[in-house]
Amino acid sequence: MAGTSPTDQHTPLVEARQIWKFFGSIAVLRGVDLTLRPGEVHALLGGNGAGKSTLMKMIAGLHRLDRGELLVCGEDASAMTPVTARQAGIHLVPQEPMLFPSLSVEENVLMHVPGNRKELRARLETMIAEIGAGMTLSTQAGQLEVADQQMVEILRGLIRDARILILDEPTSALTPREVGKLFERIRALTAQGVGIFFISHKLGEIREIADIVSILRDGQVVLAGAPKTFSDAEIVAAMTHVEGKEGFTLGHAAAAPAERGPERLRVEGLAGEGFADVTFSLHAGEILGLAGVVGSGRTELAETIYGIRPAARGRILVEGKPLSSHGPRDSLDAGVVYLPEDRQVSGLFVNAPLVWNASALVLHRGREWLPLAQERADFSEQIKLLGIVCASGDQPVRTLSGGNQQKVLLAKCLAAGPRVLILDEPTRGVDVAVRADIYRLIDRLAGEGLAILLISSDHEEVERLSHRVLVMNHGYPGGMLEGSDITINAIARLSFGVGANLDAAQ
Amino acid sequence: MIIRFLQRHREASVALIIVFLFAILGLVDRSYLSFDTVLLVYGNSLILFVLAIGATMVMATHGLDVSVGSIMGLAAVVAGLLMNAGWGIPASIGVALLIGLLCGLFNGALVSLLNVSAIVATLGTLGLYRGLVHLLSGGAWIEGLPENFKALTKAGSLGLSPVAWLVLVLLIVAHLCLRYTAFGRAMFAVGDNREGARLIGIRVNEVQIAAYGLNGLLSALAGVIFASQIGFIPNTAGTGMEMRAIASSVLGGVSLLGGTGTVLGAALGAYFMTSIDSILVLLRLEAYWNDIIAGAILLVVLITDGKIREAVDHHLRYQKYRKFIDPQAAGQHADAAKAAARPLNTTLETSEARK
Amino acid sequence: MRLHPALKRWESVLALLLIAEILLFGAINPVFLQPSMLLYATSDFIHIGITALALTLVIITGGIDLSLGSVMGLSAITLGILWVDGVDIWGAAVAALAVGTLGGVFNAVAIHLSKVNPLVITLGTGFLYGGAALVLSGLAGATGYEGISNFDPAFVNLANLQVVGLPLPFALFLALTVGFMALLHRTRFGRYVYLIGQNPRAAAYAGTPVFRTLVVAYALTSLMAALSGLILASYFGSARSDFGTTALMPAITAVVLGGTSIYGGSGTILGTALAALLVGYLQTGLQLVGVSSHVSSALSGGLLVIVVALRSLSEMGRVWFQHRRVLRNVAAE
Repeated sequence: MAGTSPTDQHTPLVEARQIWKFFGSIAVLRGVDLTLRPGEVHALLGGNGAGKSTLMKMIAGLHRLDRGELLVCGEDASAMTPVTARQAGIHLVPQEPMLFPSLSVEENVLMHVPGNRKELRARLETMIAEIGAGMTLSTQAGQLEVADQQMVEILRGLIRDARILILDEPTSALTPREVGKLFERIRALTAQGVGIFFISHKLGEIREIADIVSILRDGQVVLAGAPKTFSDAEIVAAMTHVEGKEGFTLGHAAAAPAERGPERLRVEGLAGEGFADVTFSLHAGEILGLAGVVGSGRTELAETIYGIRPAARGRILVEGKPLSSHGPRDSLDAGVVYLPEDRQVSGLFVNAPLVWNASALVLHRGREWLPLAQERADFSEQIKLLGIVCASGDQPVRTLSGGNQQKVLLAKCLAAGPRVLILDEPTRGVDVAVRADIYRLIDRLAGEGLAILLISSDHEEVERLSHRVLVMNHGYPGGMLEGSDITINAIARLSFGVGANLDAAQ
Repeated sequence: MIIRFLQRHREASVALIIVFLFAILGLVDRSYLSFDTVLLVYGNSLILFVLAIGATMVMATHGLDVSVGSIMGLAAVVAGLLMNAGWGIPASIGVALLIGLLCGLFNGALVSLLNVSAIVATLGTLGLYRGLVHLLSGGAWIEGLPENFKALTKAGSLGLSPVAWLVLVLLIVAHLCLRYTAFGRAMFAVGDNREGARLIGIRVNEVQIAAYGLNGLLSALAGVIFASQIGFIPNTAGTGMEMRAIASSVLGGVSLLGGTGTVLGAALGAYFMTSIDSILVLLRLEAYWNDIIAGAILLVVLITDGKIREAVDHHLRYQKYRKFIDPQAAGQHADAAKAAARPLNTTLETSEARK
Repeated sequence: MRLHPALKRWESVLALLLIAEILLFGAINPVFLQPSMLLYATSDFIHIGITALALTLVIITGGIDLSLGSVMGLSAITLGILWVDGVDIWGAAVAALAVGTLGGVFNAVAIHLSKVNPLVITLGTGFLYGGAALVLSGLAGATGYEGISNFDPAFVNLANLQVVGLPLPFALFLALTVGFMALLHRTRFGRYVYLIGQNPRAAAYAGTPVFRTLVVAYALTSLMAALSGLILASYFGSARSDFGTTALMPAITAVVLGGTSIYGGSGTILGTALAALLVGYLQTGLQLVGVSSHVSSALSGGLLVIVVALRSLSEMGRVWFQHRRVLRNVAAE
C-alpha cells in the first residue's frame, strides 16, 4: 500500500484505464480512459447510449467493470460496491431521481448519513435556503414535481461531504436561476478539493463550469481536453459524427402539397392538463410539426386528443365528427392513432412476441376467435414494409435493438389503419440508419394521404419533415410556422418565447 | 381535513373503529365498558401483536411472509418436545426461537439472494415447515407441559401476565426501532426503492434477510406464547395465522407495496381483529360471526382508503393544471373543474363501458 | 448439445417429471401403476387442479385470488342450506355456482374501485366469504365436523360416475383443461389477459377493455372454485364451510410450479394442469409408500421451493455463463 493521502494534489481521485463493460453481448463501454483530479470539474458529453451513465454508475459501484482498471485515490477499485464507494467518498446524483417516494424529503436526503440528526437537519435547512429551493422537509418525495425531486437528489450529494461527486444531468429540470445557484455550490466544493463529474447536454453550461471535457461516442472517448480548446462545431461533430448522416439531413422534405387535402383533424380552443387555447387543423397528406421544449404541453395535448387524458374545454373534430369524453378505443375507431413517446413504458409489450405487439391495436375489430395465421401473415408483410430485422415473429420484443423496437411500434400503429397519425418522438433512442428509414417512411405515409402530427424535441427533425410547425411555449401556442419560415432558429426562438430569454439573461 | 388526517394517520382511523366497537359494547351493557375488557382483549391479542410486528418489518421491505403460521407451529413443537424431554424452560424456549430465526433467514435468503418472489418462496416454506412439525411430533399432540411454562401467560402484576409485559415492551421497542433507528429506516428505504437504497450504500440484501430473520424469530415467540396459553400443542398450531397477521398490518396502514407503515398501526389492527372475537363473546353472539365482520370492515377500510387516495390525487392533479383548466380561477367554471377532476382511468373505462 | 425447442419448454420438463414420479412410485409399490389406482387417486386432489386452471388466468393478468378457498366452502354450504330448505339439489347446485361467480365479480369490482393490490382485496374478501360460509352453516345449526349431509343420492353418486372409463371429476378436469387452453391461447380474451399482465399501461393505451377482462378472469376463478366445492360435497357426501381452507396454497403452488410468473404476463394452462397432477400424485404416492399425508404436504412445499430456487439459479447461471462467453470472445479478438 502506498498510503497516499487523498488530498495529495498529484494523486488523481479517479483514474480509469481501458474500461470495458458488456450488457448481454453488447459492449457499452469499449476501452475508456478517464482521469479526475482534486478540485476539478470534468464534464462528460455524448448522445443517448454513448455510455456516460454506465461509466458513472460503475464509479459509484452500481455496475462491476468487465475489463480494465479503475483506481480511486490511487487504490484499486475494480471490485467496488455501492457500500465501498460510499466509504471512498463517492456520491452519484443519478439522471433519473432514485428517491424513496413514500418517505419525507428530510429522510430522503439524510437517509444513511452518519451524524447527529439535529445538526444534519439544521445544515440541510440552511442548504435549502442557500440554494433557493422552496420545499418543506416533511413533504413526501413522491408528491414533488420532477424539478424538486432532482433538487432533492442534488441536496443528497451536497450534504454527504463527498470527495468525488457525480452529477448526471443535474440541470435538465432546473430553472436558470437554480442552475446558477448550483454552479456556485460546485465552485465552492471544488475550491475545497472535491472532484466533480458533470454530465450535461448543454454546451453553454459545460463551457461555464468545466475544466476538462470528455466526449463519448459508442462507448469510447473520442475527444478530451479543456473546453476552450474546442469550437462548438468540433464538439458537435465529435458527438454526432456518423457516416452517411448527410444522406438524409441534407435537403428539405417534399414541399407541402400544392393543394391541401380534405381536413382530417380539427382542434378548437382545446385546454387540458398542461396546455390551453390550442387551435389548429390538420389535412390529409400534411405533416404538422408540434415543437417546444420538454414540458411545454405537447405530449399532454396529444394524449388528450387520443383520449388518455380528459379535456377541460374546447373541441376535437375528426373528419368533421366531434370526439368528446372519449377513450383510446373511440379514437382508434375514429382513425386516430397515437405512437407514445416512451416505447418501453406505454408503447410495447416487451416480453410478448412481435406478432402480438403488431396486432394489439386491431384485436377488438376481429372476432373472439383469434385468426393466428392471418396475424402472422400480416406481420410478415409489415416486416417487409418497414424493414424490421428479426429472426421470427415469435421472439419477444426485448430481444430487438432499440431501432427495431421502434419499427415494431410503428408497425403496431400502422396496423390500425390510421387516418390521423400522432407520432410522439418517433426517433428517440434509435440509431442513424433507422432514423433515416423512419424519415423516409413518414414522408411516404404523408405522400399517401395520411394526416400526421409530429411531436419532436429535435428541431432539426421537425424542420426536416414538417409542412407546418406549431410551436408550444409553456402550454400555450407560441406561433405557427409555414413554408420557408420553418428554420431551426425560428423554432428555437418560439419555443423559448420572449419571457424565457429575459429569464435566462438575468 | 379530518379525512386527510385519518388518511395520513391510519393508526387514528383504526383506533376510531376500535372505540366504535367498544361503544357498541357499552350500549348493550354498561358494565362491560371497563379497563378489564381492554386488558382482556389485550391478553387475547398477544400472539397477533407479535406476528404483526414481524409482518410490518417484512412488508416494509416490500416483502410478504405467509409461512409464519408454520414457523409458529414448529417453534411450539420444538419447545414442547424439549421441555417434555427434561430441558429447562429457558433453554427450550431459546432453541425454539433459534429455530424460528433460522426459518426466517432461510425465507430471506430465498427472496433476497435467489430472487424468488416472496409469496412463492414463503408459500413453499409454509408447507415445508408444517411438514417438519408433523415429522417432529410424530402426528401426536404434545401434552403435559410444565406448569411453570403455562404460568408465563397467567395473569400476574397489574392484571398482566409476564408474557403480556414482555409483549408490551416489545411493541414499544419495535415501534421506536422501526421509526427512529438507521436499521429501521433502512427497511422502509429498501421497500420503497430498492435500487435507490443500494445507491446510497444501504446493504440491501442484508437488510431484507434480517427483516425475514427477525420475523421468523418473532413468529417463534408467538408459537411459544401459544403453547403456554393453551397448555398443549396440536399439530395445527398456528395454521391460518399468516392471513390474520397480514390483515392486521394492512388494516393498520402497512402497505404491501413497501415503504409505509408503523408498528403502532399494525398493533392497533391486531387489537381490532381480536376485539371482534372478545366482543362477540361478551355480546353472547356466536363466534362464527367473527370472520365476516373482520372481512367486511377490512374491505370497507381498504376501499375507502383507496377512494380517498384517488380523491387526493385528483386534487393534486387539478392544482397542478389549474392554470390551464380553469383560467378564471376557482368556482365559476364548475364544468371545467369537474372535467378536470375526472381521472385518467375513468375516461378509459367510460369509453369502454359504452362498448 | 442442441435440444429440440419443444423439449426446452417447461411443460416438457413437467411431463417428464410426472412420468418419472409415477414410475418411481410404481417401482416401490406396483399397486401405484394400476390404471384404476392412477385414475381414482385423482379424486382426492382434482378439485385443486380445476381451480388452479382458472387461477392461472388471474395470475397472468398480474393479480391473485386468495379468496378461492373460502369460495369453495361458501358454495358447498350454499348447496347444503338450500337442500335442507327443500330446494331441488340441481337448483341448489346452480345457485351455489351463481354465488361463487358473484363472489368473483365482486373481487374484480372491489379491486377496480379501490385500485388496491389484488392480494389485499382478496385477503379481505377471503375473510368475508369464509365468514359468510361460517355464518350460514352456523345459522343452519350444522356442526363444523359433520357439516350438512344426507344429500340426494343422485348427487352423491356423481363423483363416482364414470365417463368414457374416467371418473367424472377427472374427466371434467381434462375437459376444462382443453377448454381453458382454447380460451387462453386462442381467443381475444386470452390475449387481453396476457397483454394486461405484461404491461397494463400499454394495454390501456391500446384501448384494451381492462376492467371487463379482469371481471371475467376473477369470475371464472370463483366459478371454478365453487364447482370444486360442489365436487367435494359430492365426493364426501356432505358440505362443510371449511372445505377450501387447505386448497388455496396448493392451487397457487400448482400455478407457479406450472411455470406461470407470479408477477404476471406469462404462463400456460398445460403447465398448470401438469403441475397439479405432479403435486397431487406426489401426495398420493407418498401416502401409498407409507408417508403420512401431512409429511407429504411438506414435501410438496419443499418441491415448490426447490423448483423455483433451481429455476432462479439456472437463470442466474445462464446470464453468468453468457457474460463469461462474451468476455472470452472479446479477449480472443
